[in-house]
Amino acid sequence: MLSDRITLTVPSRSEFAKTVRMTAAELASRLGMSYDEVDDVRIAAEEAFVYACDCADPSSEIVFAFTLGDGTLCIDVGPMETCCTSAGAPAEGYAEFILRSVCDEFSIEREVGRCTLHLCRRAERRAGEAGA
Amino acid sequence: MPKMAKRQERRLVWDKARTRELFCHLREYDDEQSRDELIAMYLNLVKYLASRFRNRGEPIDDLVQVGTIGLIKAIDRFDTTRDVEFTTYATPTIIGELKRYFRDKGWAVKVPRRLQELSFRVNQAVDYLTQQLQRSPTIPEIADHLGVTSEEVLEAFETSEAYNFVSLESDRGNEGGDSFSILEYIGKDDQLMGVIDDRTTLAVAVRYLTPQEQRVLYLRFFQGLTQTEIAGQLGISQMQVSRLLRKTLRSLREHIIMEEA
Repeated sequence: MLSDRITLTVPSRSEFAKTVRMTAAELASRLGMSYDEVDDVRIAAEEAFVYACDCADPSSEIVFAFTLGDGTLCIDVGPMETCCTSAGAPAEGYAEFILRSVCDEFSIEREVGRCTLHLCRRAERRAGEAGA
Repeated sequence: MPKMAKRQERRLVWDKARTRELFCHLREYDDEQSRDELIAMYLNLVKYLASRFRNRGEPIDDLVQVGTIGLIKAIDRFDTTRDVEFTTYATPTIIGELKRYFRDKGWAVKVPRRLQELSFRVNQAVDYLTQQLQRSPTIPEIADHLGVTSEEVLEAFETSEAYNFVSLESDRGNEGGDSFSILEYIGKDDQLMGVIDDRTTLAVAVRYLTPQEQRVLYLRFFQGLTQTEIAGQLGISQMQVSRLLRKTLRSLREHIIMEEA
């Protein structure tokens, strides 16, 4: 199955958290995720957004790239250039704690001077569905 | 109309005989003096009931005013021919007025009535469908059940964040222990602290959470329970778990940032 890719670019200001949550929730619902799973995706999207806002310059933008696979929603956030260059910062530890808990996959991909958050959430197969 | 004799001695609070006397006079002659004395006599009941809502962020004077409206309604509607004590009749009326006040003020953000109502219906539908299906429903299932679109359900989902009728506020400082918070029903333990002892920053931030918040955090993020499962364990709705989790995460995040600073 081909993956669909949706890109959302938002200013790095807190009032756009809802835009990110709503987009993530709609895409999760499109994949047939349950209410529980959609809420996890909303938590993940919000945490990733807050983390990115902490990293980014207030006048900059944050890019969310959503990839829809077979029952899986992946979100790449960034690249961000102004932080997450060193592992182990408390905020990073917190973001990892939450994101690892609500996502099936979570990683921070670091390059020199920049990083990207990568997270994926899979819809649980329900009885009666193909592949269940 | 014969004048009611004023009491010279110190007034007894909730004096049953005096209450009956005043009500008889009020019903027979519709006089303001008896009504005022009843209001004054039962103001302590209003203050007591208002104090039970004191940890919800509203000034106690405002709550007493709201409760007094409930008291006046109770005085005007009380049927003296029924064999019921006035306090028995007045208490739910006063509490009802206070709850209505919180319900009306509960929408921290101005939300259209249509969305408020839809949010209530979505909440109910999630609980109903979770029971029927024995799993968390999908958004289209909720939409089908309610006869609305998935987009409307998601909008209501987002809207529910603005709604705080069922108080999830912590009971810090509430020594009376008689609030109506749903958190009373959530068990108290410190399993979370045991688990995260080695995560220093997180452990410090977690100490700022109430035991109840720690409990939900533990169940969701360390035990890996779903919201549906937590709701079942704690006897609250899935949407309440969602709001509680979100509040807890925000609180945790704020403290992490404070620690970092």
